[in-house]
Amino acid sequence: MNAVAKTYQKGEIPGLIAIRASACKGCDACQRYCPTGAITGSFGATHGIDVDLCLSCGQCLISCPFDAVYETDDAVDQVIANLRDKSVSVVGIIAPAVRVAIGEEFGMKTGSLVTGKLYGSMKKAGFEILDNNFAADLTIMEEGSELISRARHAVFGEKSAHGEPIGPLPQLTSCCPAWVRYVETQCPALIPHLSSAKSPQQMAGTVAKTYGTKVWNKPASQIFTVGIMPCTAKKFEASRPEFTSAYEFNKKQNRETGPAYPDVDVVLTTRDLARLFKKMKIDLAKEADYSPDILFAEYSGAGTIFGNTGGVMEAAVRTAYAVLTGEELANVEFKPVRGLKGVKSASVTLKDAKYGKDVTINLAVVHDMARNIKPIVDDVLAGKSPYHFIEVMNCPAGCINGGGQPIDKSGSSWVEAIRPLFAWK
Amino acid sequence: MSEHKYQYTENPFAVTRREFITITGVITAFLALPAIWIKSVASSNNAYIQARTQGLYVDDVKSTIRVSHANIAVNRYYKEFGGEPLGHLSHKLLHTHYINRTKGLG
Repeated sequence: MNAVAKTYQKGEIPGLIAIRASACKGCDACQRYCPTGAITGSFGATHGIDVDLCLSCGQCLISCPFDAVYETDDAVDQVIANLRDKSVSVVGIIAPAVRVAIGEEFGMKTGSLVTGKLYGSMKKAGFEILDNNFAADLTIMEEGSELISRARHAVFGEKSAHGEPIGPLPQLTSCCPAWVRYVETQCPALIPHLSSAKSPQQMAGTVAKTYGTKVWNKPASQIFTVGIMPCTAKKFEASRPEFTSAYEFNKKQNRETGPAYPDVDVVLTTRDLARLFKKMKIDLAKEADYSPDILFAEYSGAGTIFGNTGGVMEAAVRTAYAVLTGEELANVEFKPVRGLKGVKSASVTLKDAKYGKDVTINLAVVHDMARNIKPIVDDVLAGKSPYHFIEVMNCPAGCINGGGQPIDKSGSSWVEAIRPLFAWK
Repeated sequence: MSEHKYQYTENPFAVTRREFITITGVITAFLALPAIWIKSVASSNNAYIQARTQGLYVDDVKSTIRVSHANIAVNRYYKEFGGEPLGHLSHKLLHTHYINRTKGLG
């Protein structure tokens, strides 16, 4: 680790991603995927990571041809210990992208959708299930309402219902922890543009330890929340010290006298969860489908596509349309935001039923930050961005290709590097 | 001075002209194969990304409820506990703030 990390609060994990010097060949493959140029070292020499620039996104980790990049945080044994403690309810918060990737770790076909088997394996391991897709739906309710409030404020001069200040347009999504850290370390002037809505993971943790105490009939101190994420940066996010809202709330309600606890106790990546299952001798591929009869496993199709680039935007459009116009969309699929183009944009004109006027919203979707984010950010900073709502995901293609996902060697950047050599590609 | 007359006889070659062209063609094809293989590897390097993306879109289509505001669990959360989106409790529990990290923390 570098001398002193200057961009971390007390309690946060600094230097989550590190390079094993003995394995690094200095091939520069990782540098092509780093969104902030945090990887130091010249070609042929052992590389290092500048922890202050690092966003913890893990793209270097899944792209390294020599498996030289690793995570410094591993909670697998801690989770197993809690699963064995019968006084504790261990709540697994499963992100959307996990269900289409974890099968690969058990020899299933790439991209297999294994929600039922995943639920079954988790039940066998002793988890309570809180599908993060439920929290994604909750995020849409909050973030979508926030967009509508910002838009009505900008167009009609509407004031907020509770007197809080209303942020400027364009509104930027805040689900991706690497993107949030990018804004905080590279362009803090954009902070007012970030949606104040927490990410689905943090909403899920908070809900589990407040409303969830009634569902599981357990005090919050005996609920152990585990984020199960396609993402390494989620580990950093969960360690942010401000995320103790459930504790603060319970204390005010006089339901808490013990020590403070975080909203999300620990985070496992998809790879970590596969390792946990293997340690507990659970073979996900052989597990029977299981559908838990619990409120927190109810999710909509809009919540599940959060794992794809454009998914948050599409989900937001579906709900914003209904809220603004008072009617349901006949066809919910919003194709312009799908696909792997670096920056996708679209315009939607809706009739605001409250004011009886047409409103046009310009949307943009950005992924693969290393290649695409700079011009978008520069436009917003210069005040000439044509957009009102911008979705940003750090990883190429979104969370399904996140830094915590099973490593697919066909994505190795060495192959990517030779592509331009073929003129007919 | 005697005149040197250039004399040249083609090496007797075991194949006819047509056979020679055929053999050359086959060799060229074999030489080109690795290039085609490399190209196919290069262009399939996002096949796994496409497969996972498709997996989530299939999950969406399979869902009976496809919009967030119709999620029964979300509506029950707001009714029994959370109040309304952007309401008082939402601000406390579901919203956050961000930090300027360029000023030197820690």
